Amino acid sequence: MTFEDWFRKDRLPHIFCAGCGNGTIINCTLAAVDQMGWKKEETVFVSGIGCSSRAPGYIMTDSLHTTHGRALAFATGVKMANKNLHVVVFTGDGDLAAIGGNHFIHACRRNIDLTVVCMNNQIYGMTGGQGSPTTPLKCLSTTTPYGCAEPPFDLCELAIAAGANYVSRWTSYHVKELEKAVLAGLQTPGFSFIEAMTQCPTAFGRRNKFRQVIDHVEYLKAHSLLKAKRDRLFEEGKEIPPDMFVVGELMRRNRPAMGVLP
Amino acid sequence: MKLAIDEIRCKGCNLCTKVCPYKIFKEGKKPNRKGIIVPELDRPERCANCRLQKLYGRRLCGVCELTCPDQAIHWIEEEPYEPHKVAIEY
Amino acid sequence: MTRTEFWQGNTACAEGALAAGCTFFGGYPITPSTEIAEHMAAKLPKKGGVFIQMEDEIASMASIIGASWTGARSMTATSGPGFSLMMENIGFAAMTETPCVVVNVQRGGPSTGQPTMGAQGDMMQCRFGSHGDYSVIALCPSSVQEMYELTAKAFNLADRYRVPVFLMADEIVGHMREKIIIPDSVEKIPRKELEKGVLPFKAGDDLIPGFATFGKGHHVHVTGLTHDERGYPCATNVNLHHNLVKRLVDKVENARHDLADFSVINPDAEEVFIAYGAPVRAVQQVLHDRPGQDIGFLQIRTVWPFPDFALARFKNARRFLVPELNFGQIAREIERHVNVPVLSIPKLGGDLHLPRELTAVLERGL
Repeated sequence: MTFEDWFRKDRLPHIFCAGCGNGTIINCTLAAVDQMGWKKEETVFVSGIGCSSRAPGYIMTDSLHTTHGRALAFATGVKMANKNLHVVVFTGDGDLAAIGGNHFIHACRRNIDLTVVCMNNQIYGMTGGQGSPTTPLKCLSTTTPYGCAEPPFDLCELAIAAGANYVSRWTSYHVKELEKAVLAGLQTPGFSFIEAMTQCPTAFGRRNKFRQVIDHVEYLKAHSLLKAKRDRLFEEGKEIPPDMFVVGELMRRNRPAMGVLP
Repeated sequence: MKLAIDEIRCKGCNLCTKVCPYKIFKEGKKPNRKGIIVPELDRPERCANCRLQKLYGRRLCGVCELTCPDQAIHWIEEEPYEPHKVAIEY
Repeated sequence: MTRTEFWQGNTACAEGALAAGCTFFGGYPITPSTEIAEHMAAKLPKKGGVFIQMEDEIASMASIIGASWTGARSMTATSGPGFSLMMENIGFAAMTETPCVVVNVQRGGPSTGQPTMGAQGDMMQCRFGSHGDYSVIALCPSSVQEMYELTAKAFNLADRYRVPVFLMADEIVGHMREKIIIPDSVEKIPRKELEKGVLPFKAGDDLIPGFATFGKGHHVHVTGLTHDERGYPCATNVNLHHNLVKRLVDKVENARHDLADFSVINPDAEEVFIAYGAPVRAVQQVLHDRPGQDIGFLQIRTVWPFPDFALARFKNARRFLVPELNFGQIAREIERHVNVPVLSIPKLGGDLHLPRELTAVLERGL
């Protein structure tokens, strides 16, 4: 069995724009789920609203496409009511960090046994490119036409501070690493958070000088700073470039978790 | 095994042309019936997975398949078996 | 063996839920419904159920919908402000046909209002609060005994009709202590499971599809988007949306005769009181004080869908008097169905109508 077998083939091709990284992240997640050897009937995919959240509709398992930002609250209900189910949550940056921010930090605090894959495209893609809580400073969007003036969220730091058991960040360029990170997340009991930076050619790239899909992917690749390198720079007392984001496994610990079968 | 691009699913983003270490995918020239310029395959027999998957018994590389956001890249069994000429580059 | 207890309304509600087999409670503390959550927190884990205190009412409602899809009988309890927060996900439950029970121990509003005083101001909100067209079931208990019985009944109705069912109690009933007779067991009608090979949102003649429980291999996609019978989103098909929403409304509205729960006293009277919830008790006192056949009384327990045909039982009615703890929300609904004057007797502030206030209205005449 490969990850291909997890798709609802009658629904493909999906609605994502040409070059959207969400499809890549679904592939990586499903490849990891496939390696776990879970049965389709005991796996549930949950999502909220947004581009990322259309993902469960293409996956051949029980799937719950819920209201905006509430995916984690629904997933908490599913997991607590039936601990035999493996629950994976797809979410986006607007879904998770803006409207669902409270559910996010509380799911981290409870350390409930979920795996959350956040497709962070740094923009509200489905509504046409409005600024989100992760839009970098000075970036253009339809609601930040003079450049984003608000400092963005670092979702991984937020998850670590709130108490998640496993936190890592990769990009849609690092497919193998992302697959391994999701696999590690699925294996970790407790709350696992994997942030996948992804390109959005239609809503973000178009307004931010990434004319081609690959320009944005190249940017993500060039601006990802490995955690080991970040630590080395830190030890050497050198400055960490402000426009770079750290990738790698940022946290793995063993806090008491909820929803784990005894 | 051989590589195949599913023209129904492909949306022509050309991400595959950037990720393949062998540069097997190259940008297409002619739009298809849906108006999408699907990438072309350049000597696909060079693909490591095509050659070695049977030997190793597992999927090798596979970056194009994982990266393709539209699930359009697959390996298909060749039937009937067609022998390839593999040009060995020294 | 039935037993007799002296319980608070909220305790009776929680016990009724436990008797009906509730196994999941997601809640958030709010006066005056907190006792239900407290009681469930103490009792549910011992019965193998799950109690979880969520971060807000939005999440509470979300969690019980999620739990319901795994096959659990789930409920939450809240009051006015929390009920407002739940509206979004109540619409989701209506759209996805998720059975769940929401207890609203109503308090004075709007906004924070009177946390410790009773009211019935959410009667219209529970019917029309979420956006779009849908239909729900709402039950109104007027005593501690009814708190117990209607809560247990709410679970059966939710599972039968696949809708959110509201128990619209109020602070007066919720915090009142009264004698209650506990039956040995309550009727439990299990949810109709989806048959293999049937599309998950394909309804039969009763307009209610079988329930595709998660974890049973149905591979169902549940979405709040307009969906076809497979459950796949299809948000731009005009006919599909029309037919889906029509079915969501019709499955409840067509069943109003089956759902109706009311009692009629003196159907030949000319002056007729109509009440639900706590004001029932004031009317009962008036009837007790003025024995005879001259005052009719209709007590409604299933307020939504509204049992309009019950009004026709009062053939000689010259006037309907509707005491409510709001400015005539249900009086207006009654007005739609009758040709005689409907007199709303509102009372806000948290006190129940005094019997003499009702008598005074009666004596004032037309």
